[in-house]
Amino acid sequence: MRAAEMKTIKMSATDKMLAYADMVAPGITSCEGCNVELTMRTVLKVLGPNTIVAIPPGCMGGVQTVGWEDRMGTKIPVFFPLLDNTASMLGGIKKYYEHIGRHVNVVAFAGDGASVDAGFQALSGAAERGDNIIYICYDNEGYMNTGFQRSGSTTKGSWTSTTPVGAAHKGKKTHRKDAPMIMAMHDIPYVATASPAYIPDLIAKVEKAMQVRDGMAYIHVYNACSTGWGYQPCKSIDICRRSVQTRFYPLYEVEHGKFKLSLDIKQPKPVKDFLNQLKKFRHLSESDILEIQELVDRRWNRLLGLCQI
Amino acid sequence: MEKLVVVDGNHAAALGALLCRPDVVAAYPITPQTPLVEHFTQYIADGALDCAILEPESEHSAMSILEGASLAGGRTFTATSSQGLALMYEPYFRASTMRLPIVMDIVNREMISPQTIWGGPQDSLSVRDAGWIQIYVEDNQEILDMNVQAFKIAEHKDVLLPVNICFDGFYLSHMTEGVLVCEQEKVDAFLPKYLPEHVKLDPERPMAVDPLTPGAYLQYYRELHMQAMDNAKKVIQQVNDEFAQLFGRSYGGLVDTYRLEDADYVLITMGSLTGTARVAVDYARQKGVKVGILKLRSIRPFPKELVQQYLKGRKAAGVVDRNVSFGWHCGITYLEVLSAMGGALNMPLLPFIGGLGGEDLTIELLAKAIDYIVAAGKGRYNTPQQAIWLVKGEEE
Repeated sequence: MRAAEMKTIKMSATDKMLAYADMVAPGITSCEGCNVELTMRTVLKVLGPNTIVAIPPGCMGGVQTVGWEDRMGTKIPVFFPLLDNTASMLGGIKKYYEHIGRHVNVVAFAGDGASVDAGFQALSGAAERGDNIIYICYDNEGYMNTGFQRSGSTTKGSWTSTTPVGAAHKGKKTHRKDAPMIMAMHDIPYVATASPAYIPDLIAKVEKAMQVRDGMAYIHVYNACSTGWGYQPCKSIDICRRSVQTRFYPLYEVEHGKFKLSLDIKQPKPVKDFLNQLKKFRHLSESDILEIQELVDRRWNRLLGLCQI
Repeated sequence: MEKLVVVDGNHAAALGALLCRPDVVAAYPITPQTPLVEHFTQYIADGALDCAILEPESEHSAMSILEGASLAGGRTFTATSSQGLALMYEPYFRASTMRLPIVMDIVNREMISPQTIWGGPQDSLSVRDAGWIQIYVEDNQEILDMNVQAFKIAEHKDVLLPVNICFDGFYLSHMTEGVLVCEQEKVDAFLPKYLPEHVKLDPERPMAVDPLTPGAYLQYYRELHMQAMDNAKKVIQQVNDEFAQLFGRSYGGLVDTYRLEDADYVLITMGSLTGTARVAVDYARQKGVKVGILKLRSIRPFPKELVQQYLKGRKAAGVVDRNVSFGWHCGITYLEVLSAMGGALNMPLLPFIGGLGGEDLTIELLAKAIDYIVAAGKGRYNTPQQAIWLVKGEEE
């Protein structure tokens, strides 16, 4: 049954996940406890078979979602764009299907490096141009597929293989860019943040993105990475939940400029409760943690302000 | 009847592309290509054709958009120059290796530094090994006609490769000439709809494009790609002949010649400078010098066999390049001709460089090149180790 047909039926998220066909082949080679794979399988189930998906170089490309040799990794049309042109290639695909009058979900499932760094110019261009594509960014704070290098989405202070910790320098020196907020400032029809710790919310947001016809729908998912960040694989979902519960990663959506919290965290845990779970932050001093807490508070208050407009 | 219009090269290119009914066009402006895009989008705005236009934020995205549209099954067109081509190098290489029959005009312009916007094919020649077919043209009529032929060549089932139609910035792009516009019905008959089977992203028939590919497969793809280039030699000639039959204009195919039949001496040219060379050859002929022109049209695939055939039995030849090959101290097409001749070369072959950065290659300078070739043929001048520079003020 197609996701679109299911829409009219009241179903729980669990029922939907049971009913929808998995669009990804079994046996892709993700790391143990990878919640990006969970996210990808979930969103592609919702998107269904009338979908073309781009998987640029990154974790999900590396684990052979596109395929290996002459075998496909998915049951829907799939391709490797370049690291830096995902949104443009999808824009071209979508434009041709619009030109011949056929509706197809044209979707990116791209990491933060391919989205907020190298591919950001193409992403911003497609957003401004109004290309009707669904762009899903899985943000695991760096180039995790190639051995944990820093990206523009890496939190300040993080150990990464290119921002190592030593006697003279201690991790990344600058804050991570607020990519979903930057996308919201493009005034595209739909922007949302999501987390694999809140699957029903993620499903609802993909369903909304599929309804958009007048421009880009952008969903930013914050995915913990056990191998890159340093925690036990079984704690993946717990870490993701902590990022939300500490207000480090707020869940919200923006529909045609209207900001709305998806989950109001009225009594947040200190950000330390998230940071201290991760090896990549082990070297942080109290003042380093305080600085991240201040950024979290500032971004949360800014978001609340936007929700009141 | 064909309509006669008076247009510059950019306008002729836009008219040629329009006749081919592309589904998707995306182009980023850059001097001297900008008016081409403006003309094209104006025609679309005026309702001349139902074509989807995307306005990309860079050349990199322009080529990427076309790749997407071509993968979806559309006929696609764009144009660029110089730095824009350099910026799109990453998807440029990929368009050919994905075997997408995109057509892109390159309005040739020098590469910086130093800062320049003027003509010269350094841009496209520098990427001649990126797997595209590259055809260089001489005048505005040839621009229009080759834009029509380009899609037919690109989409041929034995080819399936992207095609560049390259023409000189300003000398052609901004020069006005009379141009006959092919009749639409005839072009429609000449150029059937593009229906891809080899690669297509369509939920009705799921396909993975570019899964991780081990070396043995990649080698096989490269072999097929090179075979397609070999096939293109035949197809370029066939399409030229078919076009000539239908529209009455022939450009010779991979190469063209001028007064070459009985020539002892050969001036080898490419692009718009060929027009000036024709006059220089006429003057030399008046003085009794038996000189002719071999005009290179297709640089990829390179017409090795034809070059050997046309140079056989001559006394001397020279190649005029409006570009350089750093490290060889000669021009790029000189190297190509030299490679084509290989062990068959049994006469002096002189390298000339001139007309860089839009500098004028005058009749006098080309007459000087002919003098050098004649002197070399008579044994009075040895083939130099470095290119002979054709510089204004040094005609004698």
